[in-house]
Amino acid sequence: MSDEGYFGQYGGSYIPEILFNSQQQLIESFREAMADECFLQQVKSEMQNYSGRPTPLTYCGNLTQSVGGAQIYLKREDLNHSGAHKMNNVIGQGLLAKRMGKNRVIAETGAGQHGVATALVSARLGLECTIYMGAHDIKRQYPNVFWMKQLGATVVPVTTGSATLKDALDEAIRDWCTNYDNTHYLIGTSCGCEPFPEMVAGFQSVIGEEVKEQSIAQIGRYPDRIYACVGGGSNACGIFLPFVNSGTELVGVEAGGIGDGPGEHAKRFNTEQARFGIAQGYATRFLQDDQGQLQETQSISAGLDYVGVSPILADLEQQGKVRMTSARDTEVVEAFKLLMVNEGIVAALESSHAIAGGIREAASMKATDSIVINVSGRGDKDIFNVAKALNDVAFDDFIEDYLGEAAKS
Amino acid sequence: MSHLKSFIQDQRTDKPLLLMTHVVYGYPNVEQSLEVMSHLLEEGVELLEVQFPFSDPVADGPVITDACHKAISNRPQLGACLEHIKDLAERYPNSKILLMSYLNPVLNYGVERLAEDMAGIVPGIIIPDITIQNQRMLEPLQKSGVTPIWIVTPDTDNARLDGISDIAEGMLYCVSNAGVTGQQASGLENICSYLTRVRQHSELPLSVGFGISEAEHLLRLKGHADVAIVGSALLKAFNKDGLTGVEMKLNELQSAISKMSAC
Ligand SMILES: Cc1ncc(COP(=O)(O)O)c(C=O)c1O
Repeated sequence: MSDEGYFGQYGGSYIPEILFNSQQQLIESFREAMADECFLQQVKSEMQNYSGRPTPLTYCGNLTQSVGGAQIYLKREDLNHSGAHKMNNVIGQGLLAKRMGKNRVIAETGAGQHGVATALVSARLGLECTIYMGAHDIKRQYPNVFWMKQLGATVVPVTTGSATLKDALDEAIRDWCTNYDNTHYLIGTSCGCEPFPEMVAGFQSVIGEEVKEQSIAQIGRYPDRIYACVGGGSNACGIFLPFVNSGTELVGVEAGGIGDGPGEHAKRFNTEQARFGIAQGYATRFLQDDQGQLQETQSISAGLDYVGVSPILADLEQQGKVRMTSARDTEVVEAFKLLMVNEGIVAALESSHAIAGGIREAASMKATDSIVINVSGRGDKDIFNVAKALNDVAFDDFIEDYLGEAAKS
Repeated sequence: MSHLKSFIQDQRTDKPLLLMTHVVYGYPNVEQSLEVMSHLLEEGVELLEVQFPFSDPVADGPVITDACHKAISNRPQLGACLEHIKDLAERYPNSKILLMSYLNPVLNYGVERLAEDMAGIVPGIIIPDITIQNQRMLEPLQKSGVTPIWIVTPDTDNARLDGISDIAEGMLYCVSNAGVTGQQASGLENICSYLTRVRQHSELPLSVGFGISEAEHLLRLKGHADVAIVGSALLKAFNKDGLTGVEMKLNELQSAISKMSAC
């Protein structure tokens, strides 16, 4: 990384002046913490003893056979405490917030996974916690909202703009502008101003570091390709960064949504609707219209429904070190089912994009090749959306009965 | 000396405080927003801040954010906005019009192109998501006499105030307190010492914004600031009572100023 948080032309800091001191303090505290063996040990210990790391690398014999081609391994971030890779980042930033003497954290969340992870860690560390979530996302991910509230977090519905992740992020920045004295902005992905992209990618890199050891132990060498879904880009950065320049091909899978038209997907690559822009504190490829207004996005998975992307990935893609592809909603649901019935693993819809991209390409690879797909999270939270996508009528009956019972009591 | 600085200093010779009123271009539609602008200029506001809306205005509170989103649904064009500003500037030569927007619409239009189109018409531009670290991005504007207006806050320390003063022209935009636009100006108790400190580091006219909504706020600024910036309060008045609401609010503020003795 170059000076001032740039990754090639991407990254940097484009924030209101009011945040200047707070950002400087964060940069300084982060650098100090990363040079402090004691802090690093604390992070490692929480990752092991609270979140259950290392997560396994699981060989999928049945899936490999049914796809026919490369050997398929899954990196099981779904087995983290909270059910997603988001936990790696909140452990690191939560401990950093404590170290900086902040007593309150705020976060944006899309799928609610980062919100839940933040609420969990806040409960454990004794931090006050406010989560901003798009009203639209609250509707499709209510179970996560329920848990955030039970954990003691305040969940603020964001109704402005498209009422999804980007608007939640704007609102979190506004809160930070107002309350920086006691508040740490615990951003959920490797986006935003310096040092957030580097910091989040850094805490997530434990994923790729583990895969290095595990692939040597289980495959005898590094995998030929690694697949990860790309929302803001934190799970992808986490599994990719340790493998940059290693010979392993790194493939990001974006949300193809329902089509290629404006507002129908969340692809920041391989489309003319996205280009260089500056918003939300940093420079990256943003989906935007001819006036530079950020576009609406669409995806079956709330966690990939975002207009920007990590400046680290934008730069790596430009350098040809990461390849980007995408998967549409329908293909994602098929991949979700295929993994579930073959291996008994229920992946998040976000992660199912990576599965879709991986199995699509594995089919044309050799049986001596091997790929690792990052299962960034588990699918329990998606029960409503999946039931709808699979047209499960009995599920609707269950909800009706449940509501009937609730009305009686 | 920049146009803007001399304009403000000239105006200040017989006025205790100037007003910079803010309007979101395209809200609730282009026509009505122009009507509000004309009205404000007609009533003699010295400065008009025209905000070209952006989808993600992180330095703005709910009132302006909401107006920006509604405005965007009419797909406003920055090129047309500049034409309209030019027209207003010609019709109201006794006032100055500044452009405010966020970086992305500005970059999208092209800084060079914007500099060309604004030269001689718009003496300053306010962009809340750029700080002096990235000042070079705005160089073409500066060279065309379109001064970037830099922002200072109560938390800006003396060293940084010096850094900002070194490059600033036109005027300084002093944010009244932490937060975003449209919040209650709770920090105005300390406004005096804050502005006195800023004065020690800069000779530029000082404008104060964020949460300035009432006559009483203006009284507190008297003698410490040159320009009071009023945004959300006028928008709220417009949302409640349309153009009449704007008239009433402006009247309240202007009569408060005319009652002050010049200093
Ligand atoms: C399970 C899961 N995977 C992936 C993502 C996307 O985020 P990122 O691209 O930062 O990994 C999310 C975000 O909410 C998520 O919950």
